[in-house]
Amino acid sequence: MAALAATPDPQRRSLKHAFALLLPATLFGFLVAAQWQGQEERSQLAVRYNAPLTDAALALQKEQNVLKAQLQDLRDQLDRIQASAATQTGAAGELQARAAELKAQAGLTAVTGDGVVVQLDDAKNVPATTKDLDQAICHSTDITDILNTAWRGGAQAIAVNDQRVVGTTSSYCVGSTIMVNGTLMSPPFNIAIVGPPTSVLSAFDDPNQLRDIKQRRDVQGLGFHVTRASAIHVPAFDGALTVRFASTQ
Amino acid sequence: MRTSAGGIAASIIALFLGVLVVTQFRSQDVYSRSLQLETPASLTTLIANLSDRNNSLRDEIFDLRLRVESARDSISSGRGSLAEGHRQIEQLKVFTAQSAAKGPGISIRVDGAFDDRAMGDLVNELRNAGAEAIAVNDVRFGPRSWVGRGPDRTILLDGRQLTGPWLVKAIGSTEVVYVAITRTGGIVGQLDLIYPRTRFTVTRETALDLPALQTPR
Repeated sequence: MAALAATPDPQRRSLKHAFALLLPATLFGFLVAAQWQGQEERSQLAVRYNAPLTDAALALQKEQNVLKAQLQDLRDQLDRIQASAATQTGAAGELQARAAELKAQAGLTAVTGDGVVVQLDDAKNVPATTKDLDQAICHSTDITDILNTAWRGGAQAIAVNDQRVVGTTSSYCVGSTIMVNGTLMSPPFNIAIVGPPTSVLSAFDDPNQLRDIKQRRDVQGLGFHVTRASAIHVPAFDGALTVRFASTQ
Repeated sequence: MRTSAGGIAASIIALFLGVLVVTQFRSQDVYSRSLQLETPASLTTLIANLSDRNNSLRDEIFDLRLRVESARDSISSGRGSLAEGHRQIEQLKVFTAQSAAKGPGISIRVDGAFDDRAMGDLVNELRNAGAEAIAVNDVRFGPRSWVGRGPDRTILLDGRQLTGPWLVKAIGSTEVVYVAITRTGGIVGQLDLIYPRTRFTVTRETALDLPALQTPR
């Protein structure tokens, strides 16, 4: 008996091994199944609905880029014609000077200068199921609030991810996609602000401004950084100057 | 030999388990943004929005082509491009709020509790709906305008105190702007829930008169 106890029955020993492997093997199987099922569900949905819709959205965005380039080319052509006309008569010269001034105010000319750069991004590695998810990611309203603070601080020209902010600019959110000037965007957002740096920075530092964003940065880890910078480039507005319903008195 | 073979097998399984646990965690639990992950409903809205923008761009391209040709003809016939210059200036004056503006659109009367951030959101929605000129209590919104909280529940627009009830006027395509603002789940619906005691009255307007920006910056 003692000999038996010292060297266990080989059958019992292999049974013990099998039991020891049962738990990891079950877990393994469960995870393989979960992984496979997860992929299966996503791909079925993607194939049926999302893939063609995503393709259509991307194609429209590509088309928009082409249309904007065409529009810019026509604006340049018109500028050249007017510049040559301006040399012909004094009245044309005055008109051109007035138009140039208004174009700068409208955001139709690129601007380079000192100012402030704001970076806005979702918090890193946020669990999708967290109840604070809304607080940890950026929204289109955050962009509206940041632009408002920059104008309040005396900003002269602003661009969000190279989209110039003009009188008709809006930021818009659909699902988790954000649009600025009707252009698809996703974080991180780089907001380039040309203007008096001290005044713009003090507007951002004012504890009464952007309270919500600052609190989310401190608590949920939202990415929000404001830095002084020089030689900031803000491109010209390349969208449509839609004035179809409004007219001067 | 047996123990060592069992150990290797267990290690391999453990390794796979580790990899799978991590993959599973990463693929399902971390929030990520991607167009591919949007719902079909969101994608449809995005497509409609992109399509509208592209149509506006096409309209302007068509318009500009005619203007370029007309300006070329005028100059080659010795008439200069004064007419084109005037036309461009008129358009830019409306766009930059440097001149008063008139046209159809909508008005929104906000009677009750309201604040600067909500006013900023409302103006953002009006612009998104295609509003071309906006004023609150007859003070024009400019390209660099800002809103802030004033004393005694007033709203500051470029530093000017505006007292409620506020009347927001927006020039644009009446039907398009009206529908965008009043649609189910739209900005007025949301504000109605956030400010339950505030009355929001949206009216279609055939002729609005908006003043020019008072403090051009």
